[in-house]
Amino acid sequence: MSKQLVETREALRQAIDEEMARDSRVFVLGEEVGEYQGAYKVTKGLLAKWGPKRIIDTPIAENGFTGLAIGAAQTGLHPIVEFMSWNFSLVAADQLISNACKAHYMSGGRYSVPIVFRGPNGAAAQVSCQHSHCVEAIYGNLPGFIVIAPGNPYDAKGLLKSAIRAKNPVIFLENELDYGDKMEIPVEEYLVPIGKANVVREGKHVTLVSYSRMLKFCAAAADILAKEGIQVEIIDLRTIKPLDIATVAQSIRKTHRCVLVEEGHVFAGIAAEIGFQIIEHCFDELDAPLKRVCQKETPMPYSKVLERETLPNPERIAAALRDVLR
Amino acid sequence: MVRLNNVGKHDVSSDILRDSLRKMLLIRHFETRGEMAYQQGKVGGFYHSYAGQEAIQAGCVAAAGRKHWYTTTYRCHALALLLGAEPNAMMAELYGRATGVAKGLGGSMHMYADHLLGGLAIVGGHVPIATGAAFSIRYLEQKGLVSFCFMGDGAVVQGAVHESLNLAMLWNLPCIYVIENNHWGMGTAVKRAVAVEPIAENLAKAYGMKSYTLDGMDFFDCYAGFQDALQYVLQHSKPVLIEAVTERFRGHSISDPGLYRTKEQLQETMQRDPIVSLKHAMLEKKLLTEEEFKHMDEEAKSIVVAAMKFADESPWPDPMTLGDGVFNV
Repeated sequence: MSKQLVETREALRQAIDEEMARDSRVFVLGEEVGEYQGAYKVTKGLLAKWGPKRIIDTPIAENGFTGLAIGAAQTGLHPIVEFMSWNFSLVAADQLISNACKAHYMSGGRYSVPIVFRGPNGAAAQVSCQHSHCVEAIYGNLPGFIVIAPGNPYDAKGLLKSAIRAKNPVIFLENELDYGDKMEIPVEEYLVPIGKANVVREGKHVTLVSYSRMLKFCAAAADILAKEGIQVEIIDLRTIKPLDIATVAQSIRKTHRCVLVEEGHVFAGIAAEIGFQIIEHCFDELDAPLKRVCQKETPMPYSKVLERETLPNPERIAAALRDVLR
Repeated sequence: MVRLNNVGKHDVSSDILRDSLRKMLLIRHFETRGEMAYQQGKVGGFYHSYAGQEAIQAGCVAAAGRKHWYTTTYRCHALALLLGAEPNAMMAELYGRATGVAKGLGGSMHMYADHLLGGLAIVGGHVPIATGAAFSIRYLEQKGLVSFCFMGDGAVVQGAVHESLNLAMLWNLPCIYVIENNHWGMGTAVKRAVAVEPIAENLAKAYGMKSYTLDGMDFFDCYAGFQDALQYVLQHSKPVLIEAVTERFRGHSISDPGLYRTKEQLQETMQRDPIVSLKHAMLEKKLLTEEEFKHMDEEAKSIVVAAMKFADESPWPDPMTLGDGVFNV
C-alpha cells in the first residue's frame, strides 16, 4: 500500500474531495470556504475544482445558513457545513438543537438529516474566551447527534468520510493547532468506522482516556511516567458519541486504574460522563478512584500564562496518573 | 388591501371551490373537535387552532398543488390536512397514539404529511429550514417546484427570518414566504412588536424582493395571490414575500383566555368568517345550494367524529419503541 505524508488539513480536504466525487449531492457551505480558500485552508482549491454550485461562500449568518443546510439535508442533499470556529455555531444553536438532532425523531422517522457540521473546536493560541470554547459537552447532551473528534490526520480523513456517508447529523470537531500536524496515510481510499476507540499506546499500569489535541499532552505525560517505570495505556476515543465504553472498560480490566483528560470544562463535561459509565460498567475492577484533568472553571483567559494554567497540561496529567497509582 | 384581479372569482373552477370549501370545513371541524378532546384530557401539550385563517392555506394549496415543499409553524393542523394527511392519523397524533402521523412522537405542534417538513415550533426557526428546501430545489434543478414557508406576524422580528430572506434573495431561491398576520403574537399586538407596517411591503423592500398583501379572510384573494406569486417565482427564480392579513378566532393556544381583546372585538372579527364568505359567494353564483352546504358540513363533521373514535381506539406507542428513530439506522 503506497503512503503519502499529509497535514491534517490536507487529509480533511481529501475526504471532502473524494466524497464530493462519489456523490453529487455532497456540497460545502460556510464562511470563506471558497474564494478565500478556507480560514484554515481546509477547502483550499476546492472552489476551482468543483465550482460555486458546490463550494458555497455564505454571508456571516450562521443561524440562517445552518438552518438552510438542515432543510437541504431533509430534502435530498448532503451538506458539509464549515463553522470557522465551533464558537460561531452557538449563533446557530437553535438550528442545531431544535432542528438538526430532532427532526428524524419528531417526524416519526419521516425526515432524516444527513449532514456534517465541522470546524475547529476549543482553544487555539491566545484567542481568549469567545473563541476558545469546547462544544462537545453541549452537543453531546443532545440525543440524535453523532460527535466525532479525531486526533491525527489518518483518523481525520477516515472519520470525515464516514461522517459524510452517515444518515444522521454529525458534529465533527477539529482543532486549529492540529491542522498542520503531519502523518503518513494511505494513498488508497479508506474509511475509519464511527464509534470505535483506538488504543494508541499500550500499557499495563494505568489507563488514560482522551481525544483530539489532548492526546499529545497525554503522550507527553506517559513519557514522563515511563521514566518512572510506569506503563500508561492511552485510549483515543475518536468518536465521543456513541461512546465506545467497551474499549475503555477492557483496558480498565487490565490496568484497574484510570485518568480521564478533556480540554473542555470540568463541570458536566465529557470526562464526567465517561467516568460515570466506567462506574456503571466496571466499578469492581477499579483499584483506585477515577481522576480527571479538565479545563478549570474559568472562561478562557487571554494571557498565555493563565491560558496554560486553566487548560490541562502534561504535568497536571502526570500528577493525576501518579495519584491513581499511589 | 391589494386585490389581484388577474384571476377573478369566475376563473376559479367550481370543482376547486367545492373542494376547498370542503377542506375548510374539515379544518374547522377538526380544530373544534380537537379542542373538545383537549378539554376532555385526551390531548396534551399545547393546542393552536387555525380557526379563522382557513382561507390562506386552503387558497395556497388549491392554487399550487401538493407537489411543492411546505413548512409551517406550530399552528400546523390545517396544512397537514390540506397536504393529504389522514384525519384519523392526525387525530391519533393529537391523542399521542402509535397510529399518529408522527407515531405519537410529534404531537399537536409537529404534524407531518408528504412534502410537509413540519409543524416546527420555535418562532422563526423554521424559516431557514424552508429556505433550505428551496435551496435543494435549485440545486437539484427540479423544475416547477417551490418551497412555501408560512410564519406568523410574531416571527418577522426574528433574526432567522431576516437571514433567510437575505440568503434566498442572494442565491435566487424559489421560496414563497407567507406571513399570516393575525394581529397578535400570542397576546402582544403587532404594533407593539413590529416597528414598521405594513409588514411585507416594507420588509420585502429591504431585500429587493417582490411582495404581496392579501386579504387572508377571502379565499378568492388568497387563491389569486398565491397563483400569481407561484407564477412569478417560477418565471423569475426569485423568492417573494406575502402577507395575508387575517384573524384567528381562538386564543393563541387553548390555554389563552384572550384578555387582550374584548368579546365585542372578537365577535366583530368573526363576522368575517372565511367559510361563510366563501359559502355566500358560491350560493350567489349558484355553485352551491344550502342543502349541499349542509351536507358538506355534516360530512366534514362525521369524518372528524370518526377520527376521534379511531384515535380513541388506537394503541398507545409500545414503550419498547421509545428509542426508535433517535437515529436513522
